[in-house]
Amino acid sequence: MSRLATHPLVRAAILPILLIAIWQVAGMLVGPELKRMPTPSKVLTAAIDLIGSGDLPAAIGQSLTRVFGGFVVAALVAVPLGLVMGSSRTVERNLDPLIESFRPVAAIAVLPLAILWMGTGTAAAIFIVSYAAFFPLVINTIAGVKRVDRNLLQAAATMGLAKVTTLRTVVFPGALPSIGVGMRIALGVAWTAIIAAELAVGAKSGGGGSGGVGQMMFVFYAYSVELNRIVVCMIAVGVVAYLLDRGLRAVLSWGMPWAR
Amino acid sequence: MKALAGIGIYLRTLTVAALLWAALSWKVGNPVLLPSPLAVAEGLWELALELELFENAAISLGRMLISLTLASLLAIPLGFWMGMSRLTENLVDPLIEGLRPISGIAWIPLALFIFGIGNALPIFIMTYAAFFPIVLGTVAGVHAVDRRLVNVARTMGVPPRTIVMRVVVPAAIPPLLVAIRLGTAAAWTAVVAAELIGAPSGLGYAIEWYRGLLMTPKVMAYIATIGVLGFACDALLRALNRKLTPWRLGLDEERSR
Repeated sequence: MSRLATHPLVRAAILPILLIAIWQVAGMLVGPELKRMPTPSKVLTAAIDLIGSGDLPAAIGQSLTRVFGGFVVAALVAVPLGLVMGSSRTVERNLDPLIESFRPVAAIAVLPLAILWMGTGTAAAIFIVSYAAFFPLVINTIAGVKRVDRNLLQAAATMGLAKVTTLRTVVFPGALPSIGVGMRIALGVAWTAIIAAELAVGAKSGGGGSGGVGQMMFVFYAYSVELNRIVVCMIAVGVVAYLLDRGLRAVLSWGMPWAR
Repeated sequence: MKALAGIGIYLRTLTVAALLWAALSWKVGNPVLLPSPLAVAEGLWELALELELFENAAISLGRMLISLTLASLLAIPLGFWMGMSRLTENLVDPLIEGLRPISGIAWIPLALFIFGIGNALPIFIMTYAAFFPIVLGTVAGVHAVDRRLVNVARTMGVPPRTIVMRVVVPAAIPPLLVAIRLGTAAAWTAVVAAELIGAPSGLGYAIEWYRGLLMTPKVMAYIATIGVLGFACDALLRALNRKLTPWRLGLDEERSR
């Protein structure tokens, strides 16, 4: 028994299980005036409903499509830009002020402009995601390029390699581990940004269809007041965030065995 | 001299960007869609003259200060406790890691229901957002304390309480300051989202308000203000780090983002 109680997995489970139990008991004890209060059992029922009806998977699918779309756009711009900025001091000095000026502006603050320019649909969502993902990607790419072994660069120069070839065959692979770190940060930020964007669009356009998990949550808040379903969505947001990070980490370590 | 050259390049880049922007806005020819830089500067000037800009900035900054204080009061003691007791860490860490992927922003609908529209909602969301970087940074900071220092103190018979105050806390301060910087950045991102949706005042609210009125120059003026204040907070904390922990100069700067 004592050995069982000290096993890390057992210890890890104690507090969450205890809190969920307290939450459940508290939910059953409160008076009828708090009957809307979510409890674990009601959340579970709501989760089965939402997943069974296909609504939640569809909403997650829509949000994920936007995240991937925006992420690819951001990577296509940020990684080449970062490679060039990292390898040329002149380019970096001239472009850095622009990046540093925009970096402190949160993606969600740009959302009103995105809505103004592109409406409340997928285009605005992808714009917000790529804006959010751009900065971690470009900054980590630059940092990665600067960490490339100088000897390799000099060897490439000595052997008369063209600049573009050096960038592709020496600088890029050398910077990849750092780009991978940037991708992980960017993907996390992108997922947060899409939820925020969908929530805000849901809140400000009167529920006018943009879809996604964020808007789904807002509809449950503003129209049908189903708190259990909001909690299901929150858990879904967390699970997806976790799986995205785990998945990307697995892909990176599979694709870059030298950076493990 | 070198700093001066840096400022020169900075101004040159931004001037070029502003000229491109002006040309683009002239080409678009629609001040609602893309106002010229001059129109935005004018909007900013008007907002500043009416003091509205400062009121909203003070409200948002005040909320952030309260949230950071709350988050630090919760996260720093918990972080030290987790860092020094394996049992506590084993017990609490799964809870933290389980909640962390749920971003502060995802709490907005539920928090709207609980707190309604007002001060409590943005403060709750920002405290939540700042909590995780601070607690994890504190734990990492305590773990990074040189074990030999602790062992030396123990061998010399220093009582545990004194070891904590004189050895562990000073050694954990530099990573702790970095953690607070990350927490501040997280909170500042969350404030805009929280105010945009659920507050009757503040910078995020003002952006949305002027968008509704289609007064794009003022929208952009507020966006710029958010950027400048975010940058200023970070610069302030960075300067504070350097002042308080000069021996760690440059070590954490690189890792912190």
